Amino acid sequence: MTRFVLGRLAWMAAILLGVSLVAFMLMRAIPGDFAIAAAGSQSVGPEVLAAIRRDLGLDQPLLAQYLSWLGHALMGDFGSSFVTRQPVLGELASRLAVTFQLTSLAAIIAAVMGVATGLAAARLRGATDWLVRLWNGLMLAVPNYVVATLIVLLFGLYFPEITVLGYTPFLENPLANLGSLLLPAFALALAVSVTVAENTRAAVLEVANQDFVMVARAKGLKPGTILRDYLMRNALTPVITAAGLKIAALLGGSILVETIFAIPGMGQYLFDSINSRDYPVIQAIVLVAAGIVVLVNTVIDIAYARIDARVQM
Amino acid sequence: MQENLSAAVAAAPGRRKAGITQGWLLLGLGLAMLAAMLVLTIFAPLVAPYDPSATSPDSLAPASAAHWLGTDSIGRDVLSRLIVGGRTTLLITVTAVLIALVAGLILGLAAGYLGGFVDEIIMRVLDVVFAFPVLLLAIAVVAALGPTVPNLILTIAIVYTPAMARVVRAPVLSVKQWDHVEAARSVGMSEMRLVLRHILPIVVSPILVATSLTLSQTIFTVTALSFLGLGPPPPDPNWGGMLSEARQFMELAPLTVVGPAAAIVFATLTFIIIANGLREVLDVGSVR
Repeated sequence: MTRFVLGRLAWMAAILLGVSLVAFMLMRAIPGDFAIAAAGSQSVGPEVLAAIRRDLGLDQPLLAQYLSWLGHALMGDFGSSFVTRQPVLGELASRLAVTFQLTSLAAIIAAVMGVATGLAAARLRGATDWLVRLWNGLMLAVPNYVVATLIVLLFGLYFPEITVLGYTPFLENPLANLGSLLLPAFALALAVSVTVAENTRAAVLEVANQDFVMVARAKGLKPGTILRDYLMRNALTPVITAAGLKIAALLGGSILVETIFAIPGMGQYLFDSINSRDYPVIQAIVLVAAGIVVLVNTVIDIAYARIDARVQM
Repeated sequence: MQENLSAAVAAAPGRRKAGITQGWLLLGLGLAMLAAMLVLTIFAPLVAPYDPSATSPDSLAPASAAHWLGTDSIGRDVLSRLIVGGRTTLLITVTAVLIALVAGLILGLAAGYLGGFVDEIIMRVLDVVFAFPVLLLAIAVVAALGPTVPNLILTIAIVYTPAMARVVRAPVLSVKQWDHVEAARSVGMSEMRLVLRHILPIVVSPILVATSLTLSQTIFTVTALSFLGLGPPPPDPNWGGMLSEARQFMELAPLTVVGPAAAIVFATLTFIIIANGLREVLDVGSVR
């Protein structure tokens, strides 16, 4: 087990190194002069540009620049925004907290909706199964930003008195905070709940055919007991894994959904930074978001190996 | 899926047959939808009732006989923009996926067939690309390179190549151990011919399914990029950009949003239906 964990961690470190290299190179690949982008205007004198080059270390060799940038990033120093001239870290941390709240809520909604519909489809079969699968098939084709836009449209048309855009900080009003995140989280959760539902359905159907369930039924155990202790327990492992792997989809989707619902999270921050060509911020967000995904995937791998002894082979 | 052996033996032939019939139906439906979409977009300038960029004082008009889907905030015909916009959206999608397909095929075949050191290098590099959330990587690359049609195509191709390569590599790894491949090699068949004659055919089925699934995901990524302002530059319309522009006045003219939304869903659904049909017809297990 220790060997497996250490192997996964070393692997994670290697991937993160590659990810950081990609994040660094991307921002050096921008067309035009990086120093002009940093100055924020074309009409600065050559001596100002030279000073900016020196400040940002652009006169150094590329490898030295990368190592210095990586070293600072590891210490939490992502440089300063080209727009606000403030350190990126402070803003990023508060934005990340909002996105974390949104994606967690979305994950909970997706899990509840997915397990409920998947279970209903597998146990009730017939028309319910058919309806759930039709719904799932359809929802798979509706992107989260379309769902979000249509939600905003419907509320605008039929419930204009309800504000759906904007965000209330948790410390200001916890209830209003939850309310302001509910619709965006739902928009984000819908597509993920489909995956969870399909996985739950498949897992329950598979477990229901196993001999030990037949034995349990033959022993005369109550259907409720069989469902809870036999079906759910065994069916949940693949469901949890699949849901965990959807973290990348949730993070990616939050970029769009936050922008639509005007929620000041990491996604909206990225959107604003792209429009203002604020490259240090884009770089930091790409690095942090990809880092989170790699980290979560590694944790899932390890947790899965702990739950299921077969994985270790 | 593991099932009781007796049940599986008893039910298998019937279920498989039903699956094939269902698969052909799905495939037919999907291909019909695709054909309709392609005809509309290829002949877009002939089919579109108006010039998609022509403005008129009749802005945010509701649906009427003259404008089936109404007009947008500067009086452009929504239906015409949808039809012409589909051109840009589908062109980027299909070209990018074809490039990803070819790149994935070459890398996957090389990694799976040659194995060893080559396999390690290729798969590790692809793993790094795979570590990024697709949309995030696409946003970063387009933001760095600049949103033009060639850059969008290149970006999407890069983002989806690792998944393609994985789909190709897995069957190649097992096929190359099979007896008929061993036999062909022992009679002195050249490596290139071996790959083309005996290995490529085996990966065709999973690749077809994976390609249509990737097409559906690419529709999402391309339109999402355009939605965020990283799409093809104006004035050429595209579905994601139309949806994004229309949000400002959508309560006054809901059709300006519902139109592109429906087009995006229709295109995505088309490729999902084709993928599911192919999966049943070709009897491919689940391809991720």
